[in-house]
Amino acid sequence: MLAELINPYYLQVGSFMLINIILGISMYITLSTGQLSLANAGFMGIGAYTSALLTIHFSLPIPVGVVIGAIFAGLLGIVVGLPTLRLKGVFLAIVTLGFGEVIRVIFVNWESLTKGSVGLSGIPHMGRELLKTVKELGFEPKMLGLQNNQFIFMAIFLILLVIVIFVIWFFKRQNDSRIGRAFSAIKLDEQAAESMGINITYYKVLAFAQGALLSGFAGALFAHMLGYISPADFAYHKAIDILIFAVLGGSEVIWGPAFGAFFLTLLPEVLRFISEYRYMIYGVIIVVMMVVRPQGLIDLNVVKWIKRKTTRRGLKNGTGN
Amino acid sequence: MVLEIKKVSKNFGGLSALTDVSFSINKGEIFGLIGPNGAGKTTMFNLVTSIFPTSSGDIIFKGEKINELKPHLITEKGICRTFQNIRLFPQMTTVENVMVGVHSRSSSGVLKSVFRPKSQRQEEEGIKVKSQDLLKFVGLEGYEEVVAENLSYGQQRRLEIARAMASDPELLLLDEPAAGMNETETEDLFQLIKRIQQKGITVLLIEHDMPLVMNLCDRIAVLNFGVKIAEGTPKEIQDNPEVIEAYLGREEDELDA
Ligand SMILES: Nc1ncnc2c1ncn2[C@@H]1O[C@H](COP(=O)(O)OP(=O)(O)O)[C@@H](O)[C@H]1O
Ligand SMILES: [Mg+2]
Repeated sequence: MLAELINPYYLQVGSFMLINIILGISMYITLSTGQLSLANAGFMGIGAYTSALLTIHFSLPIPVGVVIGAIFAGLLGIVVGLPTLRLKGVFLAIVTLGFGEVIRVIFVNWESLTKGSVGLSGIPHMGRELLKTVKELGFEPKMLGLQNNQFIFMAIFLILLVIVIFVIWFFKRQNDSRIGRAFSAIKLDEQAAESMGINITYYKVLAFAQGALLSGFAGALFAHMLGYISPADFAYHKAIDILIFAVLGGSEVIWGPAFGAFFLTLLPEVLRFISEYRYMIYGVIIVVMMVVRPQGLIDLNVVKWIKRKTTRRGLKNGTGN
Repeated sequence: MVLEIKKVSKNFGGLSALTDVSFSINKGEIFGLIGPNGAGKTTMFNLVTSIFPTSSGDIIFKGEKINELKPHLITEKGICRTFQNIRLFPQMTTVENVMVGVHSRSSSGVLKSVFRPKSQRQEEEGIKVKSQDLLKFVGLEGYEEVVAENLSYGQQRRLEIARAMASDPELLLLDEPAAGMNETETEDLFQLIKRIQQKGITVLLIEHDMPLVMNLCDRIAVLNFGVKIAEGTPKEIQDNPEVIEAYLGREEDELDA
């Protein structure tokens, strides 16, 4: 019964959605200091290739590869974030988009390491590795009434779900603290923030590096979820995808880009014909959003409204806090 | 001596906004900096808070040269300011604005902020209480959750003062705090600045409201076209012919314009 409901295809779409949510949040964090970076697709690639190569060539366990991939992307974020500090708005966007393109060109041309535009395959697959491990421990998916591939896709989905919940929790807490206040002060008025004692260099680089780290993390997870990657996965169209998550969903609150990622990953799956016109639709979204709702669909007011609704319902049921 | 300005000059391209200006401020006094529009008063604030580098001269705070420090370090040393053209964080609430001001007097980093050990929770609670107390101090009790941009002009000016005080400054720089205020608000402001002085905070005040300046300040320096033309007690300044000339000359210009 349960087994029939578990459809690998849905689980895979759900997993892509979760990866995209992490990417949307990575964009949001850097933006929360007012920096519009389009380098996150590039950092995603860095994380993906780093973890893939380490696990292929040195047989490192997947979690170790993922962590190193994320940290490496984060460190590169510091290296890129420092010199681009002085750039604002669209200039930063252009330079970071250029950075992403440089990364892609390196992936294509460093053939001895990256296999060029063909990409890497045979990357340890997190679902299959997990299955192998639990089988060694004497567990069989059949015990749950599942087939092997159902188990694999469900395991990936659940692992990513836990990770996404942790990421949202982490950055919501950070936001609601001294660090988050410094971020938003910088976004609202950099010079006033500096005059109130905030080290803007530190916090802007921190936000940039956190965005890079999170992108690299998402990239590494992506590599081990699919088992193969190529430079095209991290090209500028991916940078645009991530940007649109924030444009549609909004970037005032963490739920904005998360919703954008959720919705825009789901849409082409539900309405098949849409994927052909994807970029046309993105264009329309940008124009319409800029005119009608520049802050994105989910802003602070929407969150407050939802909270009010849910607490009122909670009170009625006697479970309100 | 809290602050010593030593032969400070500032050029913007060909324009000299300040030329060899010197004065010093004693601990605990309210020191007025006055002069016609464009005299260089705000520029002096921007130099003291390191928004711009000085072209020449030194700025000494409690015996230490500070004019090459970054702005956030100036705040950490104990100098904080308000802005002539109000620069609050408009979409933050009133209390959040003040909480930002406590930044340099708190220390929780990323991990503490996320995992929240007891020390972080206590610090955060302390920040909140301190901010609420400061709002009370400037007369904004009950406005904690109002978004700053929805406050009246006079309230925004007082919020800027609370935000600056949140960094526990020894020297507070106020840039035209009475601008745009009506008579009662100005009277309240007078009392507020007095109470700030009573807390032991030294105040450097730029202000155009002459009765306010004359009643409030212990000493005053007058700038005109970037040059200091007088310094002394309010009485001495009021009787100084050069000062009267500077103001009258300018007023005629303004009448013509
Ligand atoms: N950032 C700047 N760039 C160029 N000129 C400036 C700048 N800031 C101030 N000035 C000039 O310096 C002079 C003094 O300005 P300011 O210090 O604002 O005067 P005040 O505050 O006494 O009215 C003015 O002529 C002004 O135009
Ligand atoms: Mg001025």
